[in-house]
Amino acid sequence: MPDLLSVLVQQSLNGIVLGCLYVLVALGLTLIYGVMNQINFAHADFVTLGAFAAYFFTQWLGGGYVLSIGVAFMAGAVLGVLVNAAIFAPLRERGDELRPLVATIGVSVLLENGALAAFGPIPYEFHTPYANETIRFGKIYFTEQHLLIVVVAAAAIGALYAFMRFTFVGKALRAVAQDRETAGLMGINQNQLIMLTIVIASAFAGMAGAMLGPVLVLTPFAGATVIVKSFAIVIIGGFGNMEGTILAGLLVGLIEAYTTQFLGPGVIDLVVFALLLVMLAFRPTGLIAEKREENV
Amino acid sequence: MSERGRRWLGIAAAVAVIALLPVIAQGSAYWHGIMIICALNVLLAISLNLVIGYTGQLNLGQSAFYGIGAYVTTVLVQTLKWNFWLAMAAGALAAGLVGIVLAVFAFRLRGHYLAIASLAFAVITYQILINWVSVTKGPLGIYGIAPPPPIALGPVTIAFTSPANLFYLVAGIGLVVYVALGNLISSPIGETLRAIREDEVSAAALGVNGKLWKVFAFALGSAISGLAGAFYPGFVGTLVPDAFFIIESFTLLAMVIVGGMGTMIGPVIGAVLLTVLPELLRGIGDLRLLVYGLALTLVVLFMPGGIVQAARAIWARVRPARAAPGTAS
Amino acid sequence: MTALLRCAGLHKSFGGVRAVQDISLEVAAGAVQAVIGPNGAGKSTLLNLLSGVYPPSAGRIEFEGRDLAGLPAHRRARLGIARTFQKIRLFKQLTLLENVLAGFHIHHRIPWWQYPFPAGSARADRARCHDEAHRLLAFVGLADRTDTRAGSLAYGQQRMLEIARALATAPKLFMLDEPAAGLNSAEVEFLLGRLNELRGRGLTLVVVEHNMDLVMSVADRVFVMDHGEFLFEGPPAEVQRHPGVIAAYLGAEALA
Repeated sequence: MPDLLSVLVQQSLNGIVLGCLYVLVALGLTLIYGVMNQINFAHADFVTLGAFAAYFFTQWLGGGYVLSIGVAFMAGAVLGVLVNAAIFAPLRERGDELRPLVATIGVSVLLENGALAAFGPIPYEFHTPYANETIRFGKIYFTEQHLLIVVVAAAAIGALYAFMRFTFVGKALRAVAQDRETAGLMGINQNQLIMLTIVIASAFAGMAGAMLGPVLVLTPFAGATVIVKSFAIVIIGGFGNMEGTILAGLLVGLIEAYTTQFLGPGVIDLVVFALLLVMLAFRPTGLIAEKREENV
Repeated sequence: MSERGRRWLGIAAAVAVIALLPVIAQGSAYWHGIMIICALNVLLAISLNLVIGYTGQLNLGQSAFYGIGAYVTTVLVQTLKWNFWLAMAAGALAAGLVGIVLAVFAFRLRGHYLAIASLAFAVITYQILINWVSVTKGPLGIYGIAPPPPIALGPVTIAFTSPANLFYLVAGIGLVVYVALGNLISSPIGETLRAIREDEVSAAALGVNGKLWKVFAFALGSAISGLAGAFYPGFVGTLVPDAFFIIESFTLLAMVIVGGMGTMIGPVIGAVLLTVLPELLRGIGDLRLLVYGLALTLVVLFMPGGIVQAARAIWARVRPARAAPGTAS
Repeated sequence: MTALLRCAGLHKSFGGVRAVQDISLEVAAGAVQAVIGPNGAGKSTLLNLLSGVYPPSAGRIEFEGRDLAGLPAHRRARLGIARTFQKIRLFKQLTLLENVLAGFHIHHRIPWWQYPFPAGSARADRARCHDEAHRLLAFVGLADRTDTRAGSLAYGQQRMLEIARALATAPKLFMLDEPAAGLNSAEVEFLLGRLNELRGRGLTLVVVEHNMDLVMSVADRVFVMDHGEFLFEGPPAEVQRHPGVIAAYLGAEALA
């Protein structure tokens, strides 16, 4: 296989793997925005804490790696419940749509520096048995870890998609996202649904953390590197738009892979955020969504 | 005492405090340093409050303007051998111009979207500072930065190599900016900005050009932050991009909100408190950011008007006959 | 009688929905023009087009003979067009006085350097605006509570405050979007008195309303819309008798 082609294929694979993880994180953000019209700024810190939960489960408790993904899933869910109870639920009555965002900024800073105090600044080496086994096709290779990420992520995203399309609760969620007032009138219990939304979103974040841990550098600030990129994905895909977010997440993953290959890793953030600003300037509602004129 | 009388008294008190502080901390270069940082934070906080508190635009990217001011000033002085004061003006101007670009985003974007756009601004600025190595020397930073050059006032020469004098300079500038900004806020311009904050559509029906005044607020707020940035490297001696990572934006946000968003004195209180408190409580110096995060969260949840709101509530309890019901800020 | 405001062939569509279709209207200077119609008739949309909240899909609007095309809302306010909104849009965190003061935005005369460092003319301007604001608040019956937060007012009082604030711009044309909505009968009486007073001072009014008593008492002419289209225009007495108007309002009930 000619060199350039194999490089392109390799980076495409890398991009898809990275993209799957980004989609897991971004889906949570877009779900929360779609149903609750809010942003949880601490979302990416749930990713970090999920990673740490998985790490300690495997290193201290000697648990299996695949099981640790489930542990991280649970950890994320618990964090989601706590943040909802402490911040989103109490502030929902007030109607001020930006206070929860600012509150979650505080939570994010709190979690990051709390983790720093607890775990220290030195990166943790998160080894998994799967990272060592590589599969090769000529010049192209990937590890079993990569395969695991894609499989788990695809399964989770597929399950969520099916849940939203085909189950009653899933449809109720979409109803609330479309028109909160009417959904309320139809007897759908909003508070429970909102709790469910945050739990799913945060659980996905935690799960992404468990799979990101071995791939990225595991420090208390791992989440910070992901958060703004996740916003970029959600904006490009369209806030509240599931299909758009999936596409955008894969797109950003691919962009990151190609940029690393051809321009160097230092400029990745620059490229992604420049793209974000371009989107915000011309199509803030995302690639797929439509415009709505303000009702006066 | 009349309103004007009270204001002059306030200014006199501030001048007295500023004059005395270095004397009180005599001999401690450490505390002099803290006071300078405090003065810089006050400048940053009141400029951020102009945009967030008075104009109602959620700007999470103030660290970018601080950084632009710092780098433009330093590079002009060190590499192009500009006069410091001209470079300082250029730094503030550069920051103001970039602020105008962000303001253009604010024309169409509201709330969450603007917050994200401003965050992207901050990250992109940081990335440019790190990657444009030929100009900014990248992550290693610029070394050996001198403080502002001495000023000759007749027979006396004031040198800014002493931290006390540098503090007087920055605090003096801060006081002038505070008074000017306060007057601006009390003037019809302040009314216009608050109208935009409250309801842009009906403000337009009253003749308010929302776009123009957003540009004004962002330009001025960014320029003041850039001005503060001009003094920061001279004080520290070195300049690295990490000083302007997005966490700085959140720190400033915490100062504004904890102190009292949408008031003039609130950001000052917040900046002083959040700069000085961690130093006073020895041992938590490293956990400074943890305290900021906790304070921000708690204040937003339980006392969104910050310390100013708490103080007013206490004042109303203590002197119920004087307080008017439902008084606005 | 010169037309102060004239619009011809106004169209406005939102996506696929045609909110306003081929509306032409003339308002004479000094007149009180009412705009009525069942819900969804497009009355508020018409006001929004006239005041510049959004541009028409087609058609022409002239004020004092001048074409308003492309002129944003704040520029139209400067020309002398003021309005209130159907959904109350007050500055809730500001005091009553501060709300009205915001209306003087167009009329300040202060040298630029006096904004950060006020001197004589800034203070004179401030005193002038405060006096005028108090007068306006007294006009709408809110003289005694000028330092309370606008958000804490009762609904009817909030409507009156909106009127005072709009009047601060010293308009030539004042458009009110359902000013009587949610008011009790005493408040409607008071509103009627104020509108008559304004008319007596020569102000041109356009009033979108559902309250027929109010319309009949104050309007010189009535413009009726239904489903975004023109239905009828004439003096109040004729409108009441017009079978098309009656049918539009009673609609399904009459046919059932």
